[in-house]
Amino acid sequence: MNRTGITRLVAGREITERLQGRLIRIMTVLTALIVVGAIVVPGLIQESSTPTRIGLVGSEAQALRPTLERTATAAKAKVTLSNVSDETLAREQVTSGQLDAALSIGPSTARVDVKQSLNPTIRAVLQASVDSAHLRQLLAQSGIPVDKVLTALTPVPLTTVALKPPPSDQAARSIAALAAALLMYVSLSLYGTAVANGVAQEKTSRTAEVLLAAVRPSQLLSGKVAGIGLTGLGQLAIAAAAGVIANALVHSTKIPGSVWVLLPAFLVCFLAGFTLYAFAYAAAGALVARQEEVQFVTLPIGLFLLIGYLLVYAVIAHPDATWVKVVSFFPPLMPAMLPARIALGHIAPWEIPLDALIMGLSIWAMIRIASRVYANALIYSGARLSWKEALRLTDHKPVQESSRSAAA
Amino acid sequence: MTAGELEVLDLHHRFGNLVALDGVSFGVGAGEIVGLVGRNGAGKTTTMRSVMGILRPDRGAVKWSGHPIGEDDRLRFGYMPEERGLYPQMRLLEQVAYFARLHGFDTGAADSAARTWLERLGLGERTSDKLVALSHGNQQRVQLAVALVHGPDLLVLDEPFAGLDPEAVDALSNVLFEQADGGAAVLFSSHQLELVERLCRRVVIVESGRVLADGTLAELRRRLPAELRVKVDAPPDWARSLNGTRIASADEDGVLLVVNPGTDPQIILRAAQAAGPVEHFGFETAGLVDLYREMVSA
Repeated sequence: MNRTGITRLVAGREITERLQGRLIRIMTVLTALIVVGAIVVPGLIQESSTPTRIGLVGSEAQALRPTLERTATAAKAKVTLSNVSDETLAREQVTSGQLDAALSIGPSTARVDVKQSLNPTIRAVLQASVDSAHLRQLLAQSGIPVDKVLTALTPVPLTTVALKPPPSDQAARSIAALAAALLMYVSLSLYGTAVANGVAQEKTSRTAEVLLAAVRPSQLLSGKVAGIGLTGLGQLAIAAAAGVIANALVHSTKIPGSVWVLLPAFLVCFLAGFTLYAFAYAAAGALVARQEEVQFVTLPIGLFLLIGYLLVYAVIAHPDATWVKVVSFFPPLMPAMLPARIALGHIAPWEIPLDALIMGLSIWAMIRIASRVYANALIYSGARLSWKEALRLTDHKPVQESSRSAAA
Repeated sequence: MTAGELEVLDLHHRFGNLVALDGVSFGVGAGEIVGLVGRNGAGKTTTMRSVMGILRPDRGAVKWSGHPIGEDDRLRFGYMPEERGLYPQMRLLEQVAYFARLHGFDTGAADSAARTWLERLGLGERTSDKLVALSHGNQQRVQLAVALVHGPDLLVLDEPFAGLDPEAVDALSNVLFEQADGGAAVLFSSHQLELVERLCRRVVIVESGRVLADGTLAELRRRLPAELRVKVDAPPDWARSLNGTRIASADEDGVLLVVNPGTDPQIILRAAQAAGPVEHFGFETAGLVDLYREMVSA
């Protein structure tokens, strides 16, 4: 069998084993639910902003209708107005839920009946309308020409000119950047840990030695990384598909245009990031003597992932800061920071090929180093190796095993 | 089965300051069962790992049928490491078939070979069980199935008999005989010297990374001082002045002489006859246990 054939076989076994596990099904469903939830819930909240139904009790209140409508439109508050003949009926309708509020106006008072509480925007709309009517009435009674006063009271328009306006969908972009970084952080550490665990399992169960008699360490390693990576990609694809379907069904959110750039960028960054991190995680997994040590040896790797994610908050706050740009070129931080910077639109075109070059070189170096550590540490049967010990093994030969375990 | 011959040539390897292999050379011919014997740390596992390509020795070569071992050759090798290990959560049939596929079998052939071997090793009823559900002895059988499933030309088994009950020892012995009869070269290590003696025509004794002895039992015997029992109706003084011998013991059963290699027994016989009537004259047959002790302590 050729080399890729063996790698494919190893990858196939990884995928089968993972698909048989219960955890992956739970995780897939959970991820899909989170994505669907993120799309549907805002939709539901939007739908719940149905017009507030206001009953206008008596002729004074009913006379306010044009003012109320104008004010509500200005305040971007949706209202439906209906006339109610008397207070008793109005209260009944409020109690039964037919109306959200009932407005009655006395000689110098106004009252709003609500069931429990009043939305502050609606309250402001009502207050402004009542005030305006009251003012007109008082001016009319005092014989002062209403129109002149009102003209005098008209505020001088103050125009704000933004010299460097943010994109109109700035908020959406920030949310997309954060969501991408979070998803990247969670998925890379999840699948990375899966790689480390898989390697550690083969080492601690001593399966590695039987495998290495037939398969090259590089084939075993790349097969494992590919298998787990594809499983992860499949999981993400299911989640993304669920999200798209949910979006189509509820027509809820207007997906910002930047997302359509972000999606392929995210996938490319995920693949690159996963390759970089998976090999590091694999090498870490090969260091352990017992399965329980995996968490400990992978800690430093997880830390890089976490820092990358946290720095996205800085990217959002200071997208143009020089240090942010410089730091984002650091390969371990790139998978989280790059999609965020793309989402925010603060990235110069020349940066992308440079990022790709740096990442490509880093992956190449990582594969070389990790394969060496992996091949050396895998059949070492002593206590857990330190990173330092493992990195010192540069000659393709297993480290001294005699001092800790008998080499027979 | 295309028969081949394994050649291990002057292997040297160090682990830090420890010399693990210091010029190990030997061969295993097609259809031959060779026992690799030596104390813990002598270099048996390191040698076997070098043969399997798991470890790259500092110096020396391992050849198969006269050429350096390539990847395709290695696919025709079967290996059972000292530290057993398979996927605990994988079902037996899937597991054994997976290893067959890693050795180049297609899916159908791998499945049928896996089934055949599991049945032969008495696990036919348990093909869909997970490895972890099996007893230690049965897990050993699966390990053996993994080593054999692809019909290897070379079998390298590191302590295959360790932890087996007498019945399983017999079963494994039969499998090894059968493989050798089929033309496979078989190399195995063991501390159970009686077993090695029973199974192997040829033995390689390693000590401190060197080959101490390599040959058939008869050849090894010839290289070591032999024990000769002579009963003469006379005091043992006749034997004291003989060249190339020394008296190990003397009692009513006669004298037990240790005879150095190359000493002519006829001279001893004539000396005995000169002393008196010879009632008994015979070499004591040394077993591998004796030979091994003798060589390792020398």
